[in-house]
Amino acid sequence: MLEARSLTVGYGNDAVVRGASFIVRPGEIVALIGANGAGKSTLLKAVSGLLPVQSGEIHFDGRRIDRLPSSERVRLGLAQVPEGRQVFAGLSIEDNLTLGAWVHRGADDAEIGRRLDSVYERYPVLRERRGTPAGNLSGGQQQMLAIARGLMSRPRLLMLDEPSLGLSPLLVIEIFRLIKSLRAEGLAILLSEQNARQSLAIADRGYVIESGRIAAEGTGADLLDDPQISERYLGTGRSVDAGNAQPRASLAQRLAPLLET
Amino acid sequence: MEQAVQIVIGGLLQGSVFALVALGFSLVFRVTGAINLMQGAFCILGALSMYSLGQVFHWPTGLAAAGAAAAVVAVGLIIGAAFFVPGLSRLPVSGMLIMTAGMLTLAEGLALLVWGSQPYALPPFSGEAPVRVLGIRLPTQGFWIAAVTAAVILGLWLLLTRTTAGKALRACAENPVAARLMGIDVPRATLASFVLAALIGGLGGIVVGPITSLQFDTGRFFTIYGFVAVAIGGLGSFVGAVVGGLLLGVVEQVAAGYVSSLFANSLAFGLLLVVLLWRPSGLFASGPQRRTDVRDENRVWPPIVRLRGRSAAVAGIAAVALLAALPLAVNSVPVMSSLVITFILFIGLLGLDLLMGYAGQVSLGQAGFMAIGGYASAILATNHDWSPLAATAAGIVVAVACAVVLSLFTMRLRGHYLALATLAFGLLVDSFTVGLTDLTGGPSGLVGIPSFRIGPYAFDTSERMYYLVLALIVVLVVVLHGGVRSGFGRALQAIRTDQTAAAALGINVARHKLIVLAISAALAALAGSLYAFYFHFLSPEMVGTPRSLEMLAMLVLGGEGTLVGPLLGVAILTLLPTVFQPLAAYKTFATGLLLVLAVRYLPGGIFGTAVDRLRRITGGRGTAPVARVPGTLS
Repeated sequence: MLEARSLTVGYGNDAVVRGASFIVRPGEIVALIGANGAGKSTLLKAVSGLLPVQSGEIHFDGRRIDRLPSSERVRLGLAQVPEGRQVFAGLSIEDNLTLGAWVHRGADDAEIGRRLDSVYERYPVLRERRGTPAGNLSGGQQQMLAIARGLMSRPRLLMLDEPSLGLSPLLVIEIFRLIKSLRAEGLAILLSEQNARQSLAIADRGYVIESGRIAAEGTGADLLDDPQISERYLGTGRSVDAGNAQPRASLAQRLAPLLET
Repeated sequence: MEQAVQIVIGGLLQGSVFALVALGFSLVFRVTGAINLMQGAFCILGALSMYSLGQVFHWPTGLAAAGAAAAVVAVGLIIGAAFFVPGLSRLPVSGMLIMTAGMLTLAEGLALLVWGSQPYALPPFSGEAPVRVLGIRLPTQGFWIAAVTAAVILGLWLLLTRTTAGKALRACAENPVAARLMGIDVPRATLASFVLAALIGGLGGIVVGPITSLQFDTGRFFTIYGFVAVAIGGLGSFVGAVVGGLLLGVVEQVAAGYVSSLFANSLAFGLLLVVLLWRPSGLFASGPQRRTDVRDENRVWPPIVRLRGRSAAVAGIAAVALLAALPLAVNSVPVMSSLVITFILFIGLLGLDLLMGYAGQVSLGQAGFMAIGGYASAILATNHDWSPLAATAAGIVVAVACAVVLSLFTMRLRGHYLALATLAFGLLVDSFTVGLTDLTGGPSGLVGIPSFRIGPYAFDTSERMYYLVLALIVVLVVVLHGGVRSGFGRALQAIRTDQTAAAALGINVARHKLIVLAISAALAALAGSLYAFYFHFLSPEMVGTPRSLEMLAMLVLGGEGTLVGPLLGVAILTLLPTVFQPLAAYKTFATGLLLVLAVRYLPGGIFGTAVDRLRRITGGRGTAPVARVPGTLS
């Protein structure tokens, strides 16, 4: 349902991502994994329209969307939950949720009310505190709210940017459980995560991004089993010695020319 | 007692318009994070449109008011869509300030073209006869003002808290990126808030028109009073805006009623400086802060461009030779005189460029230093028989002393606050040059100023003055050129780029800022003195706030951070109106337009852009390449 063809994206004239292609099929969880700064968020921003693509094409449901404004993409059924939650801290919980359905405003108030109810059913704590400013919620609750806000626009593809960032291990498990339950409801999920092990564990397929290029792709299980990938992103597969000493030596090598001058 | 009550009521009415301007400020600030210096101009556009529709075309009051409001909305839409909103996505905070200063000048120029420079008075909506309530005479207009102010406040409150559209505006204010992800059209929401603020300002002007005097440039006073109100109340707080506005109105009217109107003016500007020093966040806490960590940040200062090494020396010598030969080719008296003025202003701009282009400190009151230096030396030379040379030196000393005092207030300020404090400083100086009639000659100016002389040699012709100022410029440019490449210059550039990082590197930010402000004040004072000695006359409008804004335009047009670039800016804005006389009436308008366009399209100014192009053509690198460490991860 989502297809990106050799995307080059970046800020100004600098490309962060070069020639990346990937697809998301209906009802699938797809994980983009990679190190900090590899270009995962940049790709999501290109899909949601926060960043213009420099070259390449994005198709959603057979329609080319890479020149459409963000609002149009949301209307078509693409929603992104931004990194770091970014709820509207000064607005109440209910206002946050209502704004999630901004693109459908006016059209069907009753439908928005129904969605609000279903969100409240899923997260009773949000209903209890619906009048309080979103900034008063805990980090985990804010993440829940951010995801719920994303669901308010009735997306068919939900993009989550680092949803586990800054959450306690227990909450992380809960977030991943939530993501699986969203798929069970028929939603397609595009997930960008540094937490490679857990995201690959729930993902149908995954893409490994390295320095702005897609370095590997496969099913979640295949990528988890790949020794090279598990060495780089999962922190296992080699002895502790080799795993740690190697990068340190190369870092020193890189710094050497700097230190000489 | 009755008089006191009358004064307080008058203050509340006057304060209502400040409150409305302040509300507009806060609204735009909340949604965009930018201060719109043009805000006060909407009041004047509203009031003057009301005058034309009601008095010239004889529309009935209600219709005229609606028409005037529509006119303001139209102007707001055009300026917002053409300049303000596009600027937001590509300019840093200081760039937006310059942009809105340009918009203010543009609006003043527009008003000057349509209505001329004479003052206007609007008749009250419901007749002149006051109503007596409990033995107190109330002007009927007061009821209109109170009703409109209350209606605007109520309407704004309802919009922002009760409607989804209002909540979307608040969402844009808090987090524009997340708002875009909700499918909210942020640029459109921004434009909406800008136009709404324009409408609020326009309504304020329309109802307050009958109890105030209106002129094409009164808008900047509404801007500054509105900002004082906002600063008192707290930037971004709507309650604060209203309370601050009313409070300011009362304080001002009481001061004017019991002391003098000069004192009242100074009091308002003084009050701003005190509030900024004492409580920069205002009396009322503003709403949740904008998240600055999630903004799309590609708003950086353009890199400083310059010709390198030999080519700079060759070009410099050629330029000086050309300028030295220029008087031989010019045989028109007005053109020669404009050339001298160009050079004199350029001295002031050298200082402004150091301050803004190199150290990144926005100044909207640079002509204030010209006024201080110019008046001090002119008064000493004219009334106390000092030699012009000694008087000029004294003028520079006085201006530097004022800069040191000003820096006590501005040292900790950045961005909007710094810009507004310098604007308040400029307006404070204006009110003194106009108000201290015995000393300065008041609005009609100081006359009989002698020619500049060194010993027995008098510079009493345009040609002599030309060579004197040219020599001064050559010396100054060479010295400053060296200065900006020294450790001091690099420290200034570090401060410009990131004040906090500069401090972390061990640069004494406060000291550097003070020194650069003092140097710029000294150069402005020198320019002011030369101006007075050349013209044998000095009046407030020669060295007032319009001049400050004009200098800003010259700087940005010529090229910030280029030292010599501003000469092009001065030349364009000074020589063109002289050479093509019919253009003179359009000068204010053109100044504003050029400023706005230069900020938007020529980030390095004419000079910076030209140098950049030249270097590309000659095969050199365009802008400085970003250093890459070999082998680093991307």
